[in-house]
Parts: sequence; C-alpha cells; structure tokens
Amino acid sequence: MNAFTASMSRITAVFVKEFVDNLRDRRSLVSSMISTLIGPVLLVLMIVIIGRSFFKDMDAEALELPVIGSEYAPTLIQFLEQNGVTVKPAPSDAETAVRNGDVEVVLELTPEFGEEFKNGQSATVRLIIDSSRQSSLATIERLRNLLEGYNSMIGALRLTARGIDTSIINPLAIEQVDMATPETQVLIFLNMMPYFVIMVIFVGGMHVVIDATAGEKERGSLEPLLINPVKRSEFVLGKLLASIPYAMLAVFVNLLAFALAFNLVPLEDFIGFQLTINVFSLVKIFLLSLPMILLAGALQMIIATFTRSFKEAQSYVGFLPLIPALPGIGLAFLPVKPDLWTMLIPTFGQQILINQFMRSEPVSLANVLISSAVTLLLALILIWVAIRLFMQERIIFGSR
Amino acid sequence: MIQVQGLYKSFKNVKAVQGVSFQASNSQITGLLGPNGAGKTTTLRILYTVIQPDAGSALVDGYDTVKQSIEVQRCIGALPDSHGLYPRLTARENIRYYGRLHGLTGEKLEKQIDDLIQMLEMHDIENRRTEGFSSGERVKVAIARALVHDPQNVLLDEPTNGLDVMSTRSMRAFIHRLSERGKCVLFSSHIMQEVSALCDNIIIMSRGEVAASGTPQQILASTRQTNLEDAFVAAIGSEEGLLK
Repeated sequence: MNAFTASMSRITAVFVKEFVDNLRDRRSLVSSMISTLIGPVLLVLMIVIIGRSFFKDMDAEALELPVIGSEYAPTLIQFLEQNGVTVKPAPSDAETAVRNGDVEVVLELTPEFGEEFKNGQSATVRLIIDSSRQSSLATIERLRNLLEGYNSMIGALRLTARGIDTSIINPLAIEQVDMATPETQVLIFLNMMPYFVIMVIFVGGMHVVIDATAGEKERGSLEPLLINPVKRSEFVLGKLLASIPYAMLAVFVNLLAFALAFNLVPLEDFIGFQLTINVFSLVKIFLLSLPMILLAGALQMIIATFTRSFKEAQSYVGFLPLIPALPGIGLAFLPVKPDLWTMLIPTFGQQILINQFMRSEPVSLANVLISSAVTLLLALILIWVAIRLFMQERIIFGSR
Repeated sequence: MIQVQGLYKSFKNVKAVQGVSFQASNSQITGLLGPNGAGKTTTLRILYTVIQPDAGSALVDGYDTVKQSIEVQRCIGALPDSHGLYPRLTARENIRYYGRLHGLTGEKLEKQIDDLIQMLEMHDIENRRTEGFSSGERVKVAIARALVHDPQNVLLDEPTNGLDVMSTRSMRAFIHRLSERGKCVLFSSHIMQEVSALCDNIIIMSRGEVAASGTPQQILASTRQTNLEDAFVAAIGSEEGLLK
C-alpha cells in the first residue's frame, strides 16, 4: 500500500467513525433537522400574515363605516354610500372603540357642518383613528381618498359656479404609474429565503464538528486518539468531511421544506396568487451551497478547536450564522445587483445567486463559478489553519 | 525498548521534568514510581508523542519521539492518563476504530480484537455501547484499543487508578502476561506495593527528577535500607504522597 492510499484509508477510518457515531446521536440529529424547518415555516407565516393585510381586495369588499352625526351631512353620506361605503351608527364611546381596535375608523360630523358647508367655509369632519394599528391603515387610507374625492368634487363645483377654471387650484396633475404587482410585493419577503438557506448551511453540520473536536476533549478521548499513527491533517480532514453529509442533509431537508411550503400551502387564498419554486432551481441552489458547507465546517472547526467543552463550543459556534446574516438581512430590503464585487464575498454572492435561482431569473455562469471558487479557496485556507491549530499542545490539553 | 536521555519539560512556571534519564528493556516490567506531581505523566506523554520535550531525547525502538513520531506511534501502545471512550460505540467498535487507524482491516483486525477480548475477559461487554461502563470495564476497553496493533512497547499511566481489588488483580496479571510475551512494559504508579510486586526495574521519580533507579536489590543497596518501603522514603526524602 503506498503512502497516499494508506493516508486515504486513515482519513476514511476517521470519517466512518465520526459519521456512524453522530448518526447514533439521535437527539442532535432530530434537533438539527427541526431547525432546518424554521426558515420555511417562518417565511410562509410572514407571507400569509403580511400578504393578507396588503392584498385585501379593497373594491370588492364593502367598507363599513361607523358615523357620528350622519344626519348633519346627508349629501356627504350619500356620496360615501354611492362609493361602496355602508354607513353604520357609531358605537357609544367611539374613541375607546377605536383604541381597542373594535372598529378601525369612526367618522364624526358636527351639527355645525351644514351651516359651514352652506356658507362656503371649510366644514370640519373628524376621523377617529389609531395610526399605530398597521392593519387599519388600508381602511383609513381608503376613507381619506373618498373624502379627498368629495372635497375636490365640491371644490370644483364651487369654482365652476364662480366661472373659474378648476385647474387653477391644481398646478400639478399627478399621475402615478405603479409597477409593483402583488407578486413583486410579496417577493420582497422571499428575499429572506437565501439567508435561511445559509443559516442551515452553518447549523446543519455544527453538532458533528463540535462533537469531533470539543466533544473529544470533554470526554477525555482526544489524548489517546492522538497517540495513533495518524497525521493531524488526516484527523482534521476526516472529522471535517464527516460533518458534510449532515450539513448536506440539512440543506436538502430545508430546500424540500421550502418547495413543499410554496407549492403545496394554498398561498393563493391569502395573497391572491400562487408562489412556485422550480425543482431545477432547488437543485442548483443545493449545488451552489456545497462550497459554503465546506467553508462553514472549516470555520466551525477552528472555533471549536479553541474551546474545551461541548457547551462552550456550542455558544461560540452558534454565533457563526449571524455573520452572513448581516448582509443577508440588508439584502432583504435593499436588493443588490449581482455585480462582480458581491461575488467575491463568500456567502454574500451566493445569497444574491440563490435569490436569482429562486426567481428563475437568468443567472450568469461566470458569477456562479467566481463565487464558488472564492468560497472554496477561503475554505481551503481555513482548513489549513485548522490543521495548524490542531497540532498545538495547548489545544490537546485545553490550556491557554 | 525505551531509552530516555536528559529530558526537560516546563509548563509556564512549572518545571515538570528536569533531566530525566532511564532505560526500559524488552521482556521487562519497568515501573515509574513517585508521588503525584513527580513528573511521571509528563515523561510518559513525551514518550507517547503528544508533547515535545524542551531538551533531551526519548527513543522507542531507536525512533526519536519528536522527529519520528509516526514510527514511534506504530511501535507503542499507550494508556494515557485520560482514557475516554466513545459512549455511542460498542466496546468492539471502539477497539476496531483504533485498529483501522493503525491500518489494520478485515479478518486480521477482527482476529486481533478477539484475542484481546479473550485476554482481558470482556466477552460479556464486547457488543454493548460503552455508555455506563464501570471504570474497570472502561480501562479494559481503553487497554484493548491501545494494544490492538500488538505493539512491542506498552506504556501505562496509572493503569490501576480507580479500579476495585478484583480489577486491579487482573490488571496486574495482564501486565505480567505482556512481559512474558517479550514486551517492554513501562507503567507509572504512586502505589509502592504495586510497583514492588510487579517490576523488574524501578525508577523512583521526585520533583521532576530520577531519585533512584535499578532493580529492587540495587535500590536497597544504594539507599542502604533493608526494606523497600524505607528505601523509597529515603530516595524521595519524604513520605508525602507515596503511601496508599
């Protein structure tokens, strides 16, 4: 047997042992798999809840409006009713009712309304609202638009009666061309999906890396292990490789959960259209995540090597997913174009690419290759650092 | 065959080993005797390659523990001070893992494991996961995995520590059998009776130095005492930490 195959067989021995050992750690395995479902579940919930408040079908739904003193302004009431408003008597304590959220808005008219209106003064109408209540903003907006409409209609009539062109009080004619479709608005939330995938990459194999490093130290099994005729680099590689199938499984489960969530949950009922993710896109995202899995493993290995116990390692390594999170969360609100510089930042470039795959946008192959190559390179450098660290005496005996 | 020449090792302010020299031959049991903190474990750790000496050298079958650590690891079997097992693996799987790391495979490996299980009388625990093993059972598994490649040199750091009377007896018998098979056995202990009962050669260590060494007769002669216990005390200079 030549040196290379001997080395490979030792790496394989370490790999097989760590793989089997961790496969029997059912509790860690189950909790890791459950954590992969957090992203898909959270995203669907967010889309349903927020999507619902965005996409209430305004015109189809009658606006029920409690009005105080509807008898003082019959023409206004008539105008409102013609525009799909059902006028109701207001609850006795309108302000409390609004504050408690029992009604979204109350329109209050005063006895002076008729007098002021007749004299051509500004007649006061009062809206009782709670602007901190997100869900009632759409209703308030709608009522305000109706009142503005009535306002300008009456204003125009009065000017015309005095022989004045109405355009004199409208120096600007504002026309709004909104390119947002309901799809694009909900897709803002989909921008968070890449980050959830990255998080799973950083969490999926974590327990294996920790068990194989800090866990060995805690059990007192590291010292006898290192007496075996195995190079430190072989230990590091075997242990690192053992974490990869677990991380891959986690990413697979995660993507499957996203696919099921979008393709099976009847999102159409909540947001008016169905989200779908192409299966090929998911395969591509999976492949794109492989270099990052290696990177995450190496990074975890370095940190875990410094710690002395499972618990200590878990608390430090647990912070790792937050590093790619920072640009990732920004990305959810400020979409960045897939420029070259973004591809040079490991995990950041991939978040943009995952986003593109998810939307079935055309993805530049060069971008995929550059971002994968940079990530792989960084992973290899970190593996080298991990091997250097693993050789130190203080690492073995846990002193600092 | 183990040769140690002028070893020095310090940790920060602690001078753990200061100029230790000795030799341990094949077919002999050599005991490292000394109170806690005498430098026994550090000496053994240097010998089984997990730490490097600041000065001096240690040779195992002629291989240098620093420059030829892989060769040394191939010809030693060591039971270190900490001998943690993998609780989710069975006793046999724990042993097999070390065998694979030594490049053993297939029937040859399984045969070797069978021999050790026979020799250490561990049939009843061989296929149980090691979680919840007694300390005697743990030490047996730890020794079996350390010797799975049938090494010529056996290093044991306080092998009877924490064992009950029966386990201690069978451990001593096992050490005897190893030397009968021609192995070079070096073990450390802080229990004088154990060392005097087992060893062909004794190295008495104190404060990182060798205080006396040789066969029991040589030690008696050099310290001018009539019994070994007095000889140990005379060599070390105090009774502290030596007697059980």
